[in-house]
Amino acid sequence: MESIVSFCFAILAAPLLSAIIMKVKAYIAGRKGPPILIKYYTLAKLFKKGSVYSTSSSFVFKLGPVVSFCSVVMVLLFFPFAGIKPLLSFHGDVIILLYLMGLGRFFTIIAALDTASPFEGMGAAREAYFSTLAEATLFVILLLFYRLNGSFSFAAFFTGTTAINLWSPAASLLLLVIVALFVVLLTENSRVPVDDPATHLELTMIHEVMILDHSGPDLALIELGAYLKLFFYSAFITCLLYPFQLDNVYLNGLIFYGIMGMIYVLVGITESIMARYKMNLVPKFILTSFALVFFATILTMEFVK
Amino acid sequence: MDTFFLSLAVIVCGGVLPLVMHRHFTIMKAGCCVLIAAGCMLGLFDALSLLLHPAVAATYTLPWLHIFTLSFQMDSISAFFLVPIFLISPLAVLYSFHYMEKPEQSFRTAINYFFNAILIVSMALVACADNIPTFALAWEIMSISSYFLVVYDYQNKDTRQAGYLYFIFAQGGAMFLFAAFALIYSYTGSFAFTGFAAIPDTVKLVVFVLAFIGFGSKAGIFPLHIWLPYAHPAAPSHISAVMSGVMIKMGIYGIIRIYALLAVPSMIFGQIVLIVGMVTGVLGVVYALGNQDVKKLLAYSSVENIGIILIGLGVGMIGVATGTDAMAFFGFAGAFMHVFNHSIFKSLLFMGAGAVLHKAKTRSIDQLGGLLKRMPVTGRTFLIGSLAISGLPPFSGFIGEFLIYYASFQGIHLQRTAFILSALAIISLAVIGGLATACFTKVVGLAFLGEPRTDKAAHASEVGFSMQLTMIFLAAACLLIGVLPEPFVRLAFKGIADLPLLGSYNPDIFIDILRNIAKTAALFIALFLVVSLFRKLLYWRKEVSAGPTWGCGFTRPTVRMQYTGTSYAASMIDFYRPFVPVKTLYSGIRKIFPGQTTYHTEVIDVAETNMHEKIVRPLFKLLQMLHWIQHGHIQLYIGYIVLTIVVMLLFL
Repeated sequence: MESIVSFCFAILAAPLLSAIIMKVKAYIAGRKGPPILIKYYTLAKLFKKGSVYSTSSSFVFKLGPVVSFCSVVMVLLFFPFAGIKPLLSFHGDVIILLYLMGLGRFFTIIAALDTASPFEGMGAAREAYFSTLAEATLFVILLLFYRLNGSFSFAAFFTGTTAINLWSPAASLLLLVIVALFVVLLTENSRVPVDDPATHLELTMIHEVMILDHSGPDLALIELGAYLKLFFYSAFITCLLYPFQLDNVYLNGLIFYGIMGMIYVLVGITESIMARYKMNLVPKFILTSFALVFFATILTMEFVK
Repeated sequence: MDTFFLSLAVIVCGGVLPLVMHRHFTIMKAGCCVLIAAGCMLGLFDALSLLLHPAVAATYTLPWLHIFTLSFQMDSISAFFLVPIFLISPLAVLYSFHYMEKPEQSFRTAINYFFNAILIVSMALVACADNIPTFALAWEIMSISSYFLVVYDYQNKDTRQAGYLYFIFAQGGAMFLFAAFALIYSYTGSFAFTGFAAIPDTVKLVVFVLAFIGFGSKAGIFPLHIWLPYAHPAAPSHISAVMSGVMIKMGIYGIIRIYALLAVPSMIFGQIVLIVGMVTGVLGVVYALGNQDVKKLLAYSSVENIGIILIGLGVGMIGVATGTDAMAFFGFAGAFMHVFNHSIFKSLLFMGAGAVLHKAKTRSIDQLGGLLKRMPVTGRTFLIGSLAISGLPPFSGFIGEFLIYYASFQGIHLQRTAFILSALAIISLAVIGGLATACFTKVVGLAFLGEPRTDKAAHASEVGFSMQLTMIFLAAACLLIGVLPEPFVRLAFKGIADLPLLGSYNPDIFIDILRNIAKTAALFIALFLVVSLFRKLLYWRKEVSAGPTWGCGFTRPTVRMQYTGTSYAASMIDFYRPFVPVKTLYSGIRKIFPGQTTYHTEVIDVAETNMHEKIVRPLFKLLQMLHWIQHGHIQLYIGYIVLTIVVMLLFL
């Protein structure tokens, strides 16, 4: 029961947290910013609308949003938010979940290519490129975690007595992992400095340009999927940061989502104080995260005997 | 073994039939299809029954030429490799029913069918050979029959060159094999396979390396893969499907067999195989990404998948060497599983590429586009094949890769070298997976989606019934294995049962994981259906209209402005630049009113250029010096022969 509530809460809260980034950016820029519930309004508006489909597109174009949305929901089903047991979990689930996200990406990319637009093709190529690099980082993190506590699922990483967090003996390694994960978060969720959803030039964007032709409920599914994906990555980092498991579920949840809010604020600050990198610098930026976690993994050769 | 030989006899009949009946084109094709299919079904039944009800390995021997004995044995490894042979080959023949549709080339088609049957039989014999002469004989028949299949379109100069290249690699590889066998023979003095384990360890290493080079040139390991991207585009598509899906796996079979026979649990074997596998896998997929010719791309993708299989084998061998039973068990099982899966989806993709080539008359991605609407069955099955080969759940490719991941993760708790190698195996699998996704989104997205880039693509239409049927069958198999993996993985477990050194490992824990994976896949499909339904509801009674693609304010887009395969891959190729140089020819724009200009770009295969520069050219120079021996006087040639015989009689 707890797990179901936790899962539903995650899905409902994701748009709210995403709005925090906008608020923070507006605050730093000295603006008032949109209302905090803006993302819900956007979703409601999009769900009400109809759609225009390009004459070039085929059924793949309509499949894209559904598959990518489903793949993210699948990941959330397996993730222990605030230390609450997830709905589903088994030894080895992390690999199939990462690959399901790959499936979502596959369909986002081919849906973009389906429109025959050169801009969307450009975005698709970049998405494919950068995600191969980010995926390598994620797998190194997995193998590091496997070496640390011998488990192979999100639930086992973050719950129980051998949970991986900053208070475990290998905490110094985790600092590197947290930084690397933050870089992956920025990359996979198309935030500054990798991608800038706010620019008005389609040439400079990655994810946003891929969904230019989607409209109405299709676009709403994509947007919701994007909120959930960001939610997943920041929950991942929060699990590493948050060492306690209190007996009180509500207090636990409160602290957990508090830390998650901080991560969103951090993303907002990053977006405000940084500019987008030139495209040729982005791979180096992502590879930095890879180098960090790989270094951490090499260090375990002495740490973990 | 009686059923096995009966099935081979039926297949040979299926091959001989077209030779005598080539005047009746359609009857010939139909008769050949039926006979080969019947023979293969029989063989498949035999192999499966041996796998499912393990008995004592069946053996059969007969004397040959009074000197040699031909001896055959079917153990679990042979039986497992027989499954793809007998499963894919008849489908390829069925596919060819509508693919080979030129009655004016009836006799040539008949010869193609004949060699196709011979190829199937020889592959089956390779998998069952149990001593050196038998193996060498079957191996050579396999190489030569496939050579004749490649040069089907012999009037084309490129095809003849491709065939020649393939022939050189096949025979060069065989030379290494014979060297390995000769070395063994010099120690054991017998042709039997059973004596291999008795030779000294240092010799075993040399034998293994020689055999690895020999088998690797057939399988397509880097840098011996050069023939693949030439031979596959040159051969007819159903032949590419069999060669890439099944025949190159005989190289893998050879590596496994020689490892099993040498039976030495040494770390070095695993290290060699794993490192070669990682290099092959990553570079294979990068080259695949860089090529715009669909069949060439698929050929490189075969190289990549051979890399994945070798990673599985290498991890398994390291598991054996370090005594990590789970790692060994799942490494080998993963490799076996991927062999099986790859034979299915790669033949599906080659058949799809063949259908495109058949109707759109071009293999270049940059000239295709929009085919999904024009060829709905080909497009959808190709999409499924692409998802499977990218290793994405809920399709078959994921299962094999998951097994290999699982094996590699077992090695994470080891120390030093074994740990580093396991970690590298995981990272390279992840990189290969990501790049394969990039590569196949390119093929699907640019060749099948969007707008047709040329008239040829715009006028394509769906292919014949038999071609559609085989592709649908193979695509269904990809989905089935992904959703219900358990029986197939159990088959792979059965396949490795006769591998020595493995120890007894109980895979029950893994079966649980596998069931969970199947459940996750099913859950995903259910969720997908629910969300699709939800989406339908959202669109209920809503205005849905069609319009042009948003061109970001540009109002006169043309189909030529679409992203091309070259541009799609450019930045990724650039990342791997030292290993993947790009040759660009650009005539430039000079005058104020520029005339016509040209731009050509192509990815250079470093293995090919280096082999040409470092081996072929010096060899040519050397041989040039011996040119005077070849003078064209037949009398002197006879003199050479006499001289040779005299010398041999006197000194040997």
